[in-house]
Amino acid sequence: MEFKLDGIGRYIPILVIALIFGALLGLQWKSPPARLTTAPGTELESGALTIKRLEAEQEELKESIGRTREALDEYRRELADNMEMLKEINAELERQKMMAGLLTVEGPGVQVTLDDSSIQSATADSNGCLIHEYDLRDVVNLLWLAGSEAIAVNGERIVATSSIYCVGSTVMVNDTRLSPPYLIQAVGNSIAQEDVLRNPAYLEGIKRRAELYGVQFEVNRTGTLTLPAYKGGFPTNYAQLGE
Amino acid sequence: MKSRSAQLSLAIVCFLLGLLLVAQFRTQRMTDSSLLSASSADQLLIIGSLVENNARLREEMETLEEQLSEYQQAARRTVLEGLVEELNKVRIINGLVEVSGAGVEVSLDGPIGVLDVQDLINELRNAGAESLAVNGERLTLYSVIASPEDGVMTINGTQFSRPYVLQAIGDPETMETALLRSGGLIATLERNYEGLVVSVIKRERMVLPVYKKEAIEFLYASPVE
Repeated sequence: MEFKLDGIGRYIPILVIALIFGALLGLQWKSPPARLTTAPGTELESGALTIKRLEAEQEELKESIGRTREALDEYRRELADNMEMLKEINAELERQKMMAGLLTVEGPGVQVTLDDSSIQSATADSNGCLIHEYDLRDVVNLLWLAGSEAIAVNGERIVATSSIYCVGSTVMVNDTRLSPPYLIQAVGNSIAQEDVLRNPAYLEGIKRRAELYGVQFEVNRTGTLTLPAYKGGFPTNYAQLGE
Repeated sequence: MKSRSAQLSLAIVCFLLGLLLVAQFRTQRMTDSSLLSASSADQLLIIGSLVENNARLREEMETLEEQLSEYQQAARRTVLEGLVEELNKVRIINGLVEVSGAGVEVSLDGPIGVLDVQDLINELRNAGAESLAVNGERLTLYSVIASPEDGVMTINGTQFSRPYVLQAIGDPETMETALLRSGGLIATLERNYEGLVVSVIKRERMVLPVYKKEAIEFLYASPVE
């Protein structure tokens, strides 16, 4: 085959030159016309590193935010459940406290006043002239029998562990000394309460002493009584819940 | 002429091809590491927004962590546990749960009045009785020991017959001493009732039943805030 310079081969050098020229021009094209920094390559690299570091940090933050939100949601659900329980327990506790005499209460009822006789003659039976702790006990028991809902003696609320006793001639309720006159207040159906108190079958001793020696025994119905809450403690050193 | 213009157009095509080749090469590099090829001004913008964004995220994280620690404290159940403990205590007092513990057992056989039983209960309470039962009937604040007719005793409306057994949970020593002291209630009762047999036994452990009747309903009394 004859090599023809007139053919394609003749253009090859020109084509190569044009290609190189174009490539050089293209390289020139994209380069920024002026770089102000002295070490452009290293700065770009450190910038890229910073960006990568920041992006990694962002990723981490997002992840822990996601985790914390999940944990929070769980706590919120648990707390909501607890709140619900808390509300129920609180309501139940209030009910139980009401029953135990731990709340101040008001309502209609009766007031019974008991006092030693003012007649302190030498001839009178001194025992008969006085109000004894068992008199108070009997009146309180009778008031419970009449369906009373709350009872206080001289402002001392009667609770399940209360005892009415005497030390010498001093009457004690809830370990508090009381002195006459004794005012027994009971919230409840005042008609039923008065009926029982006035029933001749009950409190025979007091009623007889009232007639004979002038011991004071007075029953009054009242529209509103306010009985204070029991302020003492309920020791539970021996009693344990359940078997 | 014809071959000249062909030469020229070919040269132009090659020139453009060279340009395209470089452009292609550049974009290739751009996608591989766009960061390196981005201008430092662009990088600064990216860094700026990242720093800002991360600061916001960190703030959010701090808020969430604060909330979390608050919840962790609140969810520690101490409040709830305290309430349940208090509730159980009041339930013991109200006789609405079974209780067990040490105490004394007082048996009464023979003639005895209802008011005397009431006095014995008062004595036990005075000696620190925490929970009481008579013949297996739990006593509450509202329990009434009554005698609708002679020789009959009812507690909380239920009739009981002798012997009467009083169970009291509390300090056994204190209660026994209080009951048996000379000139005490039992001594007085034994003197007053001929044929009355009383025994006081200390118990290491007794179980008192729950008050089974309906709890009191308050129709007249209402709590004051």
